[in-house]
Amino acid sequence: MKKKQWFAVGMSTLLFGSVLAGCGGEEKTAKNEEKSEKKEEQVEVTIAGWGGNPMEQKLLKQTLDEFEKTYPNIKVKHEVISDQYMDVIKTRLIGGEGPDVFYLDAFEAPAMIGTGVLEPLDDYVTEDFDINDFEKPLLDAFKGPDGKIYGFPKDYSTLALFYNKKMFAEAGLDVPKTWDELREAAKKLTKGTEVYGFGAAPELARLYYIAESKGGKVVTDNKASFADPKVVEALQPIVDMRLKDKSAAQPSEVGAGWGGEMFGQQKAAMVIEGNWAIPFLQETFPNTEFGTAEVPTIDGKKGTMAYTVAYVMNKDSQKKEAAWKLISFLTGKEGMKIWTSKGFALPTRKSVAAELGYDKDELRAALVAGAPYATVWQNGTNLPIIMNNFNNQFVSAFLGEQPLDEALKKAQDIANKEIEAK
Amino acid sequence: MFRRQRWKEAGTAYTLLSPTLFVLLLFVIGPILFAIYLSFHKVQLLGTASFQFVGFDNFTRILDDTRAKIALWNTAKYVAIVVPTQTMLALVLAATLNAGLKGEKFFRIVYFLPTLTSSAVLTLIFMWMYNQNGLVNHVLKFLGLPTYNWLGDPSVALNAIMIMNIWSTAPFFMVIYLAALQDIPDSLYEAAELDGANAWHKFWYVTVPYLKPVTSFVIIMGLIGTFQLFDQSYIFSGGSGGPNNATLTVVLLIYQYAFKSLGTMGYAAALAFALAIVILLATWLQRKFSKEESLY
Repeated sequence: MKKKQWFAVGMSTLLFGSVLAGCGGEEKTAKNEEKSEKKEEQVEVTIAGWGGNPMEQKLLKQTLDEFEKTYPNIKVKHEVISDQYMDVIKTRLIGGEGPDVFYLDAFEAPAMIGTGVLEPLDDYVTEDFDINDFEKPLLDAFKGPDGKIYGFPKDYSTLALFYNKKMFAEAGLDVPKTWDELREAAKKLTKGTEVYGFGAAPELARLYYIAESKGGKVVTDNKASFADPKVVEALQPIVDMRLKDKSAAQPSEVGAGWGGEMFGQQKAAMVIEGNWAIPFLQETFPNTEFGTAEVPTIDGKKGTMAYTVAYVMNKDSQKKEAAWKLISFLTGKEGMKIWTSKGFALPTRKSVAAELGYDKDELRAALVAGAPYATVWQNGTNLPIIMNNFNNQFVSAFLGEQPLDEALKKAQDIANKEIEAK
Repeated sequence: MFRRQRWKEAGTAYTLLSPTLFVLLLFVIGPILFAIYLSFHKVQLLGTASFQFVGFDNFTRILDDTRAKIALWNTAKYVAIVVPTQTMLALVLAATLNAGLKGEKFFRIVYFLPTLTSSAVLTLIFMWMYNQNGLVNHVLKFLGLPTYNWLGDPSVALNAIMIMNIWSTAPFFMVIYLAALQDIPDSLYEAAELDGANAWHKFWYVTVPYLKPVTSFVIIMGLIGTFQLFDQSYIFSGGSGGPNNATLTVVLLIYQYAFKSLGTMGYAAALAFALAIVILLATWLQRKFSKEESLY
């Protein structure tokens, strides 16, 4: 009996011990470091981003390979965070396990910069990096309130009108130039609930420029102000298209995940989407013939959205020199040219854009043309709260549950209450 | 001498338990305590972490939060409808499967299938079926019934999730009932038959009372599960809880405060704590009403 008991105690301590040892694993890393020191300071930099389509992944891999060739002593570890990217990044940064370099959407940038987890990059920039080559609004999106630059935009996309060529030919229509024309065309292109003239995305990220087209402001002093009658007036036509004309619907109503899918399935004759839709449509729906045009004008004024993403550096990174080399390569002329060469994303450097000639590309010209007048999707640190409340109520107005002005008023009040309580 | 023996035994027991205890402390008790700590602070975790003691501010803020009230109301409605329905359905399904029909095993497998699918996948499949030109509306149209905009209409969006969830969780509880049904001695039914009971009497006066402890378990598990509704409404609404807050649940709101806006982690913890208390209360009430000696 006694013997057995002691055996059991011994076993459990052993198990317990091995659990603890598993947590540590220090020995191994120590050995690895020793080895790398011998090979003249081999460093490994981690870079994290969300996953793109396979072609895009291949391109990034190619760019990173090129970088490793240029700097043989730096190894790049690429991590793909496929879902809930920002949640994962924030959690990892809190835990001190953040990657050295990672993607940051302009929309999230002000709040992230505000917390001080990002490394300002001004001191690293050298003459030949040629900072003036970047499109200014896109670079400004990553400037902090202190005027320092916290990230360099890796690429961007604007929105353009995608139209189904066959449906337009059948209806004998021209591509709409103004929103009024678009509304008329949408009516003619609609076939009951089978095909909608316009696939709408009832969310702030897509509607921001429309909301502000009549002179109203969505955000004022970091607070929601979208119940402004001018904003309501600007957004009303979209709601009317859904409710009065019955010529618009959102993707989920026809079982599609997003506008591009709805368009590809030929359940919408027109959608307003970005650059990402082009390779998606070509690969997934090769039978859908489509063209692109600039977003229709409102009151003769042009407008569209621009979305951009930057490479930023973790302030707690232990390998800042190497991390900067990676960022400067990826956003430099050479790296950006490889990354944007296949047209999955548009280059943020003027010189690269000119060299690759996307302004003359049949499908991408409309997107490039939008860059100078686009509204960058970003506004202050409270935009996530504002957006969430806007989307929640706008959808219900879009579906006819309540009048638009009431919905927006309610959303604005709740949003501002939330912001004040912060 | 005797006491020493007991100490020794206890010591051995704790040594044997230590790995489990360690894991429990680290991954269960620790986080709970930390969450309670967080709920009394204004927390900024990112960057230079700051914890500012605010007392009960986070809790009083709940009373003032329109969205929290809506979320609680939605969740309560959801619980009140889903729990009784799925319990009843599970019992009926189990009783029919236990009646000794032909092909019983086949049906048992078929009924249980939904439980095996991940709820996220299930939600995506249902979103297909629920869309305006989808299967559900086609069937309704065929039967001459009105069709709905299941996903978009705030007045039906939550019902759509309810139907889906009842369908997918009832079979799980059915299996528990089935196991309990096998346990009822035949002699009880025989005695009832001698007293002239018909099939309905036997079900109502023998089966149901005998299953009372199991029913209690099923209801409590159902309560806990439904109060924690998250993934379905998250996927349905793309994380916003819309349209018009119709699918906003407490857990979804907690998630929004914890991860979507910076600096509200403490408030999210307070909400989570409040939800825990609500669940505790509901469970306690259930046990109070069912009044049986508990088995667990």
